[in-house]
Amino acid sequence: MNKEQNKKVEDILSSLDGVQKAVASDFFYTRLKARMEKGYEPVGAKSWVLRPVYAMAALVVVILVNAAVIFSGQNNTREDTIADTDTFQSVAAEYALNDNSANLYDLNQDK
Amino acid sequence: MQVRFLPGPLLKDSITLSFSIYKQPIFVSYSVKTQTFQLLNEIELIQGLRNGDESAFKYVVDNYKDRVFNTAIGIVQNAEDAEDVAQEVFIQVYRSIHSFKGESKLSTWLYRIATTRSLDLLRSRKSKKRFGFIQRLFGDGNEPLYEIPDFNHPGVALDRKENAAKLFKAIDQLPENQKTAFTLHKLEDLSYQEVSEVMQTSIAAVESLMHRAKQNLRKMLEKESG
Repeated sequence: MNKEQNKKVEDILSSLDGVQKAVASDFFYTRLKARMEKGYEPVGAKSWVLRPVYAMAALVVVILVNAAVIFSGQNNTREDTIADTDTFQSVAAEYALNDNSANLYDLNQDK
Repeated sequence: MQVRFLPGPLLKDSITLSFSIYKQPIFVSYSVKTQTFQLLNEIELIQGLRNGDESAFKYVVDNYKDRVFNTAIGIVQNAEDAEDVAQEVFIQVYRSIHSFKGESKLSTWLYRIATTRSLDLLRSRKSKKRFGFIQRLFGDGNEPLYEIPDFNHPGVALDRKENAAKLFKAIDQLPENQKTAFTLHKLEDLSYQEVSEVMQTSIAAVESLMHRAKQNLRKMLEKESG
């Protein structure tokens, strides 16, 4: 880096030397009171729902609920199938419904 | 030395006036009833705040608003945002004064809240910018990106404004802790000891942060000018 560039950088770096302090507006207290009375909404405040930790927790809960529903659904289907078969068989036995009686209108049956 | 009367009594049946010596606020209360003067310390002022005394709150705001505003404007680099941040700082003070244990000075606590709030605003601004970029990618780009124009600090002399704007642009790219240390030391004129108290770290750590901040700024400026 040449001398001129170096001086330029030094000038920029020292540009805040002796800087005056910025002062708040004369009406600062009035505005502050008005904001406090109106109800305060912080700048850049995010709803807690939007925080990553809550969003991830909600996602995990949704996945777990889905998984629980799917697995319990599968077990129930097997049990229901067995139960249904039992019921059909018992009803069939009670009303003497067999394969032959299934074709009540089979005209060729007695022939 | 600036002497001022507080707008209302901090103590019952009394008139309170305050002045600062070496940045230390001193409160003197004159009791009308007993016709005696009483020196109030910061603890009594904090007690006034805890009791919900509006005059104590007004005193704190009037006495510290410029320091809070100057800190905030150095970090957020926008006057309107800095005023919003400063208001939030005092609202937080009003609401959480009961949690203030008095282990540090009131001014230290205020600086700490001011820097935290200012950095929160910067993070929120960055996430808005990112969200705006994503919106543009998906075609819903009506909302303009949150771009901050070059910042002109009101306390910088006219002949230095251009250079100061370049320096502020570089400061904005510093890591958070370096930015905080640099702002408190350079703009708010706090000593390394005071900065270390605000940042709850050691003086050596502040020295290191300042050294790295200056190095990083130099690199950025060299890159830009070269």
